[in-house]
Amino acid sequence: MVDAAGKRVLVIDDANLVRRYYRDALERAGFEVEEALNGLEALEKLQDAVTDLLIVDVNMPQMDGFTFLKALRRQDLPVAAIPALVISTEAGAQDRDAARMAGGNFYLVKPVSQELLIEHVSMLCGIGP
Amino acid sequence: MADAAPVTEDELRRLSEFLYRRTGMVFTESKRYYVQRRVSDRMAVTGATSFASYFARLRSDIAGEIEQFINAFTVNETYFYREEHQLQCLTRDLLAERTRRRPRSDAIRIWSVPCSTGEEPYSIALWLLENWAQVDAYDIEIVGSDIDTRVLGAAAGGVFGRRALMRLTPDLVGRYFEPLEDEHWRILQDIRDSVRFTPINLVETAETRTQGKFDVIFCRNVLIYFDDASRRVAAENLYENLAPGGFICLGHTESMSRISPLFDVRRFNDAIVYQRPERPHG
Repeated sequence: MVDAAGKRVLVIDDANLVRRYYRDALERAGFEVEEALNGLEALEKLQDAVTDLLIVDVNMPQMDGFTFLKALRRQDLPVAAIPALVISTEAGAQDRDAARMAGGNFYLVKPVSQELLIEHVSMLCGIGP
Repeated sequence: MADAAPVTEDELRRLSEFLYRRTGMVFTESKRYYVQRRVSDRMAVTGATSFASYFARLRSDIAGEIEQFINAFTVNETYFYREEHQLQCLTRDLLAERTRRRPRSDAIRIWSVPCSTGEEPYSIALWLLENWAQVDAYDIEIVGSDIDTRVLGAAAGGVFGRRALMRLTPDLVGRYFEPLEDEHWRILQDIRDSVRFTPINLVETAETRTQGKFDVIFCRNVLIYFDDASRRVAAENLYENLAPGGFICLGHTESMSRISPLFDVRRFNDAIVYQRPERPHG
């Protein structure tokens, strides 16, 4: 069990079941979880919430994950530096590159097991095993 | 409530004909008591003083009486994780087969019909979250349909009593439900939002056609209420609602082979399932 006390994660994904799946793993590991259904909603939520990590889906309506990350990284505010774990269905090298260019810190290909998710979230939150 | 005068044989016949034309369900003389009770209830609710006045009201569909009447005749009790072996089959075999040669961008579509108050479609959602390793890799669309519009409202509300949850572990109830008062629990919003509910009459082809093609259909314990002719119509409609290679799960006492030659029988470890062939039988 990782020591996740107080760490807050924003899960950005348009699929209800996927948000529930990640949230379930994160909460059981002790993280606090916020949700957004797309990039636009995430940008709004980030204005007034303290967040330690973003989990970002790529294909979403209204604002996709890459557009969101680019918009976030451009901001002249502390939120612009929040680490982001991009989770995508695409396994190609060009997709990984696109994620890195957009401002993603780490890239995972779906399906992501709950164990794998917690391992990477902990690592990106600076929580060592 | 005072019992209304018993329904005569002739009245029962007229009612049965009416129900049959509307729903495909058959109620013979042997179900007289069952019919009588429901007619008496509806007469009391509507204030009808005789069978003739009630039947006139029904036929003219005053204040939506047809729908109310049909609702009174459908059987609604069920519970979470009922026929769990079929859910095992879903994640071990059916979805593995359905996802083998398809792009991740294609949604997986699952239909629960009839869905009653939502136990079955929500069970599918919970089961996938708990048991399908690919759950985050596909868009999953779960649709719950029922002819009984009253249960659909309850289904969307997602509130359940202890009986409906009896097969779920306390851990599952704790993680996916919020406790309400009086031994009731509400399933979490994410899960409620992951199921879409629609009214459907399985013998009305114009209605079933609007639902599109599914990868897997759960259609348990409803065809047994139909007579041969409507059962066949329903089976043909269900066939059309399956993508080629898609699967349909019936109740464990039901057999599609006796209803329609359109489907292939597939025997998996956990369940017997019927499949729409990739190409129609020649």
